Amino acid sequence: MTLATATNDCVAAVCATFGSVFAVIDEWRVSIETLIDASAGILDSAQVDTEIEALVVPELSSDGALVIGAGFVAAPRFLADTDWHLAWWLGHSNTFGLGSADPSIRRLMAVEDEFSESFRDYTNLEWWRVPARTGTRHVTGPYVDYLCTDDYTLTLTVPVTHGSTMVGVVGADLYVNDIERILLPRVRAIAGTATIVNASGRVVVSTDVHRATGSLLRSPKDGAVSKDRAAPSDGAADDAMVTCGDTGLSLALTVAG
Amino acid sequence: MPQSIRSTTAARAAVFAPLAGAGRAELVEQRLTDAIVLGLLSHGERLPSETEMARQFGVATVTAREALEALRAKGLVETKRGRDGGSFVTSSDTRAASIEQRVRELSRVELRDMGVYYSAIACMAAELAADRATPDDIDQLERTLTDDADEPRARREEGTFRLEVAALSQSARLVREELRLQAEFAPLLWLCLRDEEYRASSRAAHRSVVEAIAAADGSLARERTKNHIAEAIEWLLEAKAIMDA
Repeated sequence: MTLATATNDCVAAVCATFGSVFAVIDEWRVSIETLIDASAGILDSAQVDTEIEALVVPELSSDGALVIGAGFVAAPRFLADTDWHLAWWLGHSNTFGLGSADPSIRRLMAVEDEFSESFRDYTNLEWWRVPARTGTRHVTGPYVDYLCTDDYTLTLTVPVTHGSTMVGVVGADLYVNDIERILLPRVRAIAGTATIVNASGRVVVSTDVHRATGSLLRSPKDGAVSKDRAAPSDGAADDAMVTCGDTGLSLALTVAG
Repeated sequence: MPQSIRSTTAARAAVFAPLAGAGRAELVEQRLTDAIVLGLLSHGERLPSETEMARQFGVATVTAREALEALRAKGLVETKRGRDGGSFVTSSDTRAASIEQRVRELSRVELRDMGVYYSAIACMAAELAADRATPDDIDQLERTLTDDADEPRARREEGTFRLEVAALSQSARLVREELRLQAEFAPLLWLCLRDEEYRASSRAAHRSVVEAIAAADGSLARERTKNHIAEAIEWLLEAKAIMDA
């Protein structure tokens, strides 16, 4: 297999893995946008909860589901009855949550009272902030999610719009472990060192065993974090960064020799 | 996802969702401990009865009792007798009294040893965070710092700050260990936050650690964290000497 073929294969694997999850999230986005449009943008939290639960619970319950948490987070003051709202469900591997129809699936509840000491404005967080700025899908992490999954996590989010206004995000959580298991065999096929990094230059998975997931990929020359240097996807250049579609992830290549 | 999200009134029920697997008493204990540390269960709040708790967790009553006993031993839960009795999350007043009692009961050797253990976790977290934090992470970390000076706030800030630094290490285990140690040890270790002067120096120490992390200087972040915790231990041992006198 040539380097170019292996590279393209690896990029395709990244796009397919994340793409399949984004495809599911996009279906949820369409459903929720349809509901919002049908009610002329006036909804309360109960309507949203019913809709989202019906959408995400089947995905969380499916065998071998990659998605371990999913839901909708409303823009501040979008819903009629509450300023802040999260409609988020946790899969069977999460230990935090609240009972629902399926005992292995639980609802995550959050502090929605902005005067509470525990309240935190989620619009400052990456999984909200980036889609809000770019208007498009985003992969947050790897990061340690100590309140929801209690583990090393990736969060995929997509903006939900009504007219030209962003009214929330829909998203899903994945375990980094599962992603390593899926992607590592694909990156291994590449000669030289191949590392998948997120938009901040954080390593998701690498063929170099010494390059830890979660560390930042730094330039050997100046120690600067390697990011935003996406090269054309010809797979032939030395020390290239190849963009993996619209996932926000890149494949960093160092050709051996 | 919701790293943002501190759990809530309704989410308290989540704390009692069914558990599966071995070491159930420890799991029950761990979940309740985390919930107390994270503020999901607040000071003075009544816990369900042993029977009810056992039902909600899906464990035997004896398992729930075992977990409650372990929490009582840690001073996180107190039991009141009588008609309005039951198990309660230790109130802040009782906690203050029980902290002093624990400080008197523990030997200097034990207190120093706790400090060493806590420092090992916090220093490693700070060192890794310096290598792994992006400018964006550093902005978020700075948000946990305040200029406020009252004791409860200073304690919360201390806890949140350590937890955020641990999260920046990218190690799920360090984060879990940090949470566990905060429950067990933070009320003792940060006794110094009673002192207004110390609260100011503690805030300055947090800022200096953030600076080291921002400069990607792992050894400096480790050093500053180590010194900050060491000072707190020395303060605690001096306080103990006064209490014991």
